[in-house]
Amino acid sequence: MTDPDNRILQINAAIDGELDPMSALELERAIRADPALAAERERLKALREAVRRHAPREAAPRALVDRIAALSAPAALVATAQPRASASSLPTGRGRPSGWPNPRALAVAASFAVLGFAAGVGLTSLRVPDSSQAVAGGLVSDFARASIAGQPFDVASSDRHTVKPWLAGRTTVSADIVDLAAQGFPLAGGRVAVVDRIPTPTLVYRHNEHMVAVTELPLDAKGARGGEGIETIDGYHVARWAGPNLAYVAVSDMDEKTLAEFVAAFRRGPSPAAEPRRP
Amino acid sequence: MTNGVAEALAHRRFREIVPPLLDDAYTLAKWLCRNGADAEDIVQEAAIRALRALETTAVDVPKPWFLSIVRNAAFTWMARNRPKATTSVGDLADLDALDARLGEGSPDPEQLLIALQDGERLKRAIADLPAPLMETLVMRDVNGLSYRDIAQATEAPIGTVMSRLARARAALAKTLKADR
Repeated sequence: MTDPDNRILQINAAIDGELDPMSALELERAIRADPALAAERERLKALREAVRRHAPREAAPRALVDRIAALSAPAALVATAQPRASASSLPTGRGRPSGWPNPRALAVAASFAVLGFAAGVGLTSLRVPDSSQAVAGGLVSDFARASIAGQPFDVASSDRHTVKPWLAGRTTVSADIVDLAAQGFPLAGGRVAVVDRIPTPTLVYRHNEHMVAVTELPLDAKGARGGEGIETIDGYHVARWAGPNLAYVAVSDMDEKTLAEFVAAFRRGPSPAAEPRRP
Repeated sequence: MTNGVAEALAHRRFREIVPPLLDDAYTLAKWLCRNGADAEDIVQEAAIRALRALETTAVDVPKPWFLSIVRNAAFTWMARNRPKATTSVGDLADLDALDARLGEGSPDPEQLLIALQDGERLKRAIADLPAPLMETLVMRDVNGLSYRDIAQATEAPIGTVMSRLARARAALAKTLKADR
């Protein structure tokens, strides 16, 4: 009744979970009656598993991720604006040093940013961002991307003596890592955020199912000094404060009160039970 | 003014939609052009197109939407930079001649199972598939799109998607059994 080619399509659809229940039942009966069909299904399953195992999804290179982020980055990333027409005529950015947005991406970002600003005046939802807003916005995007991608950190460790050297090798800012496990915020890992084109250390702490990412900036970095306190950007809570040596921006999906507790604990430093911080 | 509002909106949508899809986009592009550095350029080009499109488009299902842009950017890129490698219409017609059955003419199913252990060989076999079969297979088994999403991303009817997927898998099995 069903021709052989159609059976093959059905078996493929069945192992992909795409066959409707009635057809699936009918196919099961046919497979039970025909060992050749059963063998075909086993082979297809083995093939599919092998493809998934040997051809996994690859992580996009960091440089690409940064360039894409720069396409819609806040204006702090862009020093000078160019007219939009130039964007499509610039050559592609091969051959540049990796890790930085290429000239074309920046030009596009610049042209969009300029137009966006021109139009943003008078719109309540489009504040003209100052540089600290831009930094916070970029870090919120980082946080959202990291959460959605399921890769909240580049180095996973609850040991700050592992995280600190990892970050030290990749950033120019000496990270201030506070052990807050006793306060209910165990360290989960670290990653590098790019702020104003400078790689900066970001610490990721957990709290139950939630995360908070603390990015540490030199006090003189552009946009480092914003108003202190907690605000909401795109649904995430953002806290900023400054210490004697560094400015901090914490982005979190925790509620505002818990984030405030975290910030207070972070500012107090390690609990007496924790080992003293190394000089 | 209106233009600027649309762009600001596009940026907001872009930041929500595109960054989480970059791994999928990069992987797909890399399969389509077979080169990591070129794949980066393709994804970047796709992102620029996506940003423009988002000025006028709201997207319900981001993944097939963006992967469709990546795919089209890859084809444009291939046509421009590697015209000889670009799929011709003839390839599509030839597909009909491909058998969708894996088992036919295979006295030794063990041979396939052994061949499947060799990841490099399997990847070569995938890379050698005709483009329409390869993109369908990659979108399904690597990107994890549903048949319906693949149909949307490749602008093909769902029946065509099913048939291409079956043929892709059959062709893979055949290649793996043939070469050694």
